[in-house]
Amino acid sequence: MTETFYDVMRRQGITRRSFLKFCSLTAAAMGLSPAHAGEIANAMETKPRIPVLWLHGLECTCCSESFIRSAHPLAKDVILSMISLDYDDTIMAAAGHEAEAIIEEIVKEHKGKYILACEGNPGLEQEKTGGMSCIIAGKPYTEQLRHVAKDAMAIISWGSCASWGCVQAASPNPTGATPIHKVPDIGNAPIIKVPGCPPIAEVMTAVITYILTFERLPSLDRQGRPKMFYSQRIHDKCYRRPHFDAGQFVEKWDDEAARKGYCLYKMGCKGPTTYNACSTIRWNGGLSFPIQAGHPCIGCSEDGFWDKGSFYDRLSGIHQFGIESNADEVGIAAATVVGGAVAAHAAVSALKRTQQKGDQE
Amino acid sequence: MSVIQTPNGYTLDNSGTRHVVDPVTRIEGHMRAEVNIDKNNIITNAVSSGTIWRGLEVILKGRDPRDAWAFVQRICGVCTGTHALTSVRAVEDALGINIPENANSIRNIMQLSLQIHDHLVHFYHLHALDWVNPVNALKADPKATSALQQKVSPHHPNSSPGYFRDVQNRLKKFVASGQLGPFKNGYWTNPAYLLPPEADLMAVTHYLEALDFQKEIMKTRTIFGGKDTHPNWTVGGVPCPINIDGTGGVGALNMVNLNQVHEIIKQTKTFVDNVYVPDILAIGQFYKGWLYGGGISGSNVLAYGDIPDKANDFSPENMMMPRGAIINGKFDEVHEVDHRDPDQIQEFVPHSWYKYPEGVKGLHPWDGITDPDYDVSTAKGTSQNIEELDESASYSWIKAPRWKGHAMEVGPLARYVVGYASGHEYWTEQIKMTLKTLDVPLSALFSTLGRTAARALEAAWAADQQLYFFDKLMTTIKNGDESTHGGEMWDPKDWPAESKGVGWTEAPRGALAHWIRIKDTKIDNYQCIVATTWNGSPRDEAGNIGAFEASMMGTKVEVPHEPVEILRNIHSFDPCLACSTH
Amino acid sequence: MTTMADTAHSEPAIYVYEAPLRIWHWINALAILTLAFTGYFIGSPFPTMPGEASGGYSGEANYLMGYIRFVHFAAAWIFIIGFLGRLYWAIVGNHHARQLFMPPFFSASFWEGVFHEAKWYLFMVKEPRKYTGHNPMAVLFMFGILVWGTVFMIFTGLALYGEGAGMDSWIYTYFSGWIIPLFGQSQDVHTFHHLGMWFILMFVMMHIYVAIREDIMSRQSLISTMVSGWRMFKDDRDVDDGH
Ligand code: HEM
Ligand code: HEM
Ligand code: NFV
Ligand code: SF4
Ligand code: SF4
Ligand code: F3S
Ligand SMILES: [Mg+2]
Repeated sequence: MTETFYDVMRRQGITRRSFLKFCSLTAAAMGLSPAHAGEIANAMETKPRIPVLWLHGLECTCCSESFIRSAHPLAKDVILSMISLDYDDTIMAAAGHEAEAIIEEIVKEHKGKYILACEGNPGLEQEKTGGMSCIIAGKPYTEQLRHVAKDAMAIISWGSCASWGCVQAASPNPTGATPIHKVPDIGNAPIIKVPGCPPIAEVMTAVITYILTFERLPSLDRQGRPKMFYSQRIHDKCYRRPHFDAGQFVEKWDDEAARKGYCLYKMGCKGPTTYNACSTIRWNGGLSFPIQAGHPCIGCSEDGFWDKGSFYDRLSGIHQFGIESNADEVGIAAATVVGGAVAAHAAVSALKRTQQKGDQE
Repeated sequence: MSVIQTPNGYTLDNSGTRHVVDPVTRIEGHMRAEVNIDKNNIITNAVSSGTIWRGLEVILKGRDPRDAWAFVQRICGVCTGTHALTSVRAVEDALGINIPENANSIRNIMQLSLQIHDHLVHFYHLHALDWVNPVNALKADPKATSALQQKVSPHHPNSSPGYFRDVQNRLKKFVASGQLGPFKNGYWTNPAYLLPPEADLMAVTHYLEALDFQKEIMKTRTIFGGKDTHPNWTVGGVPCPINIDGTGGVGALNMVNLNQVHEIIKQTKTFVDNVYVPDILAIGQFYKGWLYGGGISGSNVLAYGDIPDKANDFSPENMMMPRGAIINGKFDEVHEVDHRDPDQIQEFVPHSWYKYPEGVKGLHPWDGITDPDYDVSTAKGTSQNIEELDESASYSWIKAPRWKGHAMEVGPLARYVVGYASGHEYWTEQIKMTLKTLDVPLSALFSTLGRTAARALEAAWAADQQLYFFDKLMTTIKNGDESTHGGEMWDPKDWPAESKGVGWTEAPRGALAHWIRIKDTKIDNYQCIVATTWNGSPRDEAGNIGAFEASMMGTKVEVPHEPVEILRNIHSFDPCLACSTH
Repeated sequence: MTTMADTAHSEPAIYVYEAPLRIWHWINALAILTLAFTGYFIGSPFPTMPGEASGGYSGEANYLMGYIRFVHFAAAWIFIIGFLGRLYWAIVGNHHARQLFMPPFFSASFWEGVFHEAKWYLFMVKEPRKYTGHNPMAVLFMFGILVWGTVFMIFTGLALYGEGAGMDSWIYTYFSGWIIPLFGQSQDVHTFHHLGMWFILMFVMMHIYVAIREDIMSRQSLISTMVSGWRMFKDDRDVDDGH
């Protein structure tokens, strides 16, 4: 009575006929003769749910919280019918030794066939000197992470923590928080980054559903993010874009422009530099997204978005030479120096020239 | 082997066998518990350790105070938003900023949504499996479950035998697959589970129903804050403007959004009343003899108060959740709490992995220091493979906050105790109703079950207050005030060279405050003392144990290597370790 | 190469800058000023415009930011194509056309020339040297700041442009795809592109000043040379090109 892909597809309202059609298409796609469609159907009807080990490092657990907000599919259906969430210390019944035993079992019995879902990241700073800032079963989280990563079929880096480092990696990164793909000896499993702080619930479940339904990993961009959700900026599909193009901006909180829903660019909106699906898929079942509720995008799915200066400044903060400024302040300062030097030089030149002329006379 | 008498009245005896639970699961973050169990299976020594640290207080230094909310919001995604609200309040306090009434109503609705959501998810998805056995639910007769459901909650529509049979079938299929997922390796044969199968089936059904429903609760925050989890906030008000009757009203909060909010609030209220509260009472009936876990709840509790009725007034009279401290079990004396008094709230680190400059004992958070210093040299094992912690040395990433030197319990139970002692009418009624329904004395409140019940009662109360603030919001708009942001002091150029402030909230897990110092428009120092910092605190200078450790003391464990009872006690606090250490 | 120098005592005008080079110079100057002007206002837009965002045919319709960006991109393409054309001309044009791109870094006399010019600007020598082409100091600055600044602005500009063109566009593939991660993220590319503007503007300030100054104070014509192509000399002593 194993729940299989077929059951899952049935649960999603796919008929047997279209299921078989799907199988023959899959056969064709794999270059097999139609005769193999039966074999594929058989495999999909009997194959067990993919084991998922969901590990937690330095994090805020908001990615999990986001995940359970998924409306389509429901988190319940993902957990009960699509995957086998065998380890997730946030919700699992077992604790202590019994919990850790599950990892051993899955890693051994499903070698190369399970998915590692990473939320949060390891801190490597304390470990350098024999310490720990994220301890699981008395040992550094890094150890658990590497152990599970080694034989994983694929790794999903949930959220900006696992993808980029996120808030704990913000300067001065006291724990040496390191995104999954940069952890030394993490192994060779393909890594899918699903950034966002947190990522959109339906994007998270869609990534999982995609893998299960099409039995392959989604196409990724050069930085390892699924193209289907991260290939465009908030700004590219923002419904306030006409106001941007028109030069109509909110200048301060709750002003006339804010009440009309003008563009938030001047309030520091990072939509023009942020790759995410918020302006299209939106949040919580498509209800809204930050800009729709009047707050500029803070760029939460971007690498290092914490360290670009105030969220409310359009131009990034630049911290150099112990002073804080932005590109225009730096430029104007430099131009003033140059301008001053030019003026002074011109004055001296003029003086010299009159002197020379005087000498000649 | 030693026996230690703690100043707060516990006898710690570490002569029995040591049991380690690491990781403690079904909590937020990473935590380790160690207990000594004597030959009668009684816990005689308890040690709790926070095993995650990120250093947010270090990271915040030198940043723009107006950005701080976003950083501290990421302290925790489970109590998402409460840190952000605490932060904007701290900054507003430091700079003397007032927010409009509408902003106050909106913030309160958002904060109350969190209370309800967090409590509901905690009970069903983190705590329930300590009381409910899903495997046992397979044996249930769906008809009996249906009868039970109709008895405990006549208004809940999902109560037919066929409905429960469907759920049971799905569960059967799930179990038969051999892939138990999150239920794998649970302690399903442990005699500590006391529910009859039909109650187990009802509870498991609601585990799933609640999982589906919880996401609706937070949609208020998506409308006001743009997303959930981690909605957006702003110093000086709320980001969402209101445009109820003007050009471009679709670009702001309008009648459609307000109707949505109203609908969500009503649904939430219905679910809490029909499912959550009845379940607590029903399950409570079967466990009311299991009254372990009270810990220090019967002697030392602390609440800061929250949900200001009128904007910008944080006096106890204006707070709908009361403020006060009770010490040494003297319930007739509710002490006023002053966050600014350097002698009231202090943090100690002798048993934590931090160091203070030589000679410094306790620090008020305005002068707080966060300087990591991991050291387990006296523990059993190695520095990167701890076998047994040494609780006489440093053993946790959590600091030890104390109120006038006392270890305090915070959280829903603490709030209800302070409320009861200070005559909060609504809460007193609820407590009386609960005790009467379960037929237990007032003292039963000071237990693991009391904590769990208080949380459900608070969710019911919170849903009502959401309606109150929704009405208030509508009234203010009706009277022509649509403002949502104060606008004053937004520009750092207007700020004084130096200032300091404190903001607080009642987070789902208890009293939460942030202290900020601003210098030359940047954060000079930022310190958080979080709910779970209080509850999960290690020992202090004087040897007082914290609320987690106290709650485990004296508990009988049925099967020593199956830590159900330990989980029960710890879970009743709804620990959040990312919060506790930040 | 000092072909002229050997013979010239009383020197006639010498044709140094061929037409394509001169045309490029002025177009490029205009493009850069346009790019800087529009770029600045992309970074810090004008105060809000009244009216509707998309008013169709009505006069109230606004597209200010759109026009500013359009002008930026149009100027950018002129700037890019001009630069490519100038590179081509460096190959096919006369030897002065190559000077800009290959300062003789390994020639001691070149550095001696730079040093001499530096002294000239520090009022330490009475007289500048005489050059048919650019003086060594000018070459150094033009190459170090303007040429590389141009390359930098084109690459970062195209990386930003590719974001709008989309991930499947060739511009994204060849520019954005690797440049953005190289800088960190898109916002960093904006910051550096923006800083690049100031870098180039500083060159422009110094360059224009020096052009006018040398036109007055040096021993040869400058501005008119960049207009007509002919270099005029104010005395008939040897040119110092080889030094
Ligand atoms: C001297 C040459 C150039 C200057 C001075 C210049 C200046 C600027 C400045 C100051 C910005 C605003 C940056 C910010 O703060 O976000 C900008 C944006 C931009 N520039 Fe340039 N730029 C130059 C060349 C180019 C080139 C060659 C391209 C290539 C197509 C280009 C494409 C862009 C794009 C796509 C943007 C972003 C527009 C937006 O965000 O809407 N620029 N430029
Ligand atoms: C954005 C503004 C400008 C830029 C980027 C610029 C750039 C350049 C460059 C790259 C060259 C070298 C030409 C080559 O070898 O192909 C050059 C030469 C020259 N430019 Fe400009 N230019 C600008 C504006 C001006 C202006 C306004 C003047 C006149 C006042 C001027 C006068 C000259 C002169 C006289 C030369 C020739 C110098 C010599 O003979 O050694 N430029 N400029
Ligand atoms: N402890 C704690 Fe929190 C709460 N509630 C915050 O203040 O959970 Ni993450
Ligand atoms: S990415 Fe953001 S939301 Fe997710 S765990 Fe990290 S801090 Fe939390
Ligand atoms: S609000 Fe932000 S994302 Fe939307 S158009 Fe304006 S700048 Fe772009
Ligand atoms: S802040 Fe994050 S949630 Fe979306 S709109 Fe911006 S990426
Ligand atoms: Mg703290």
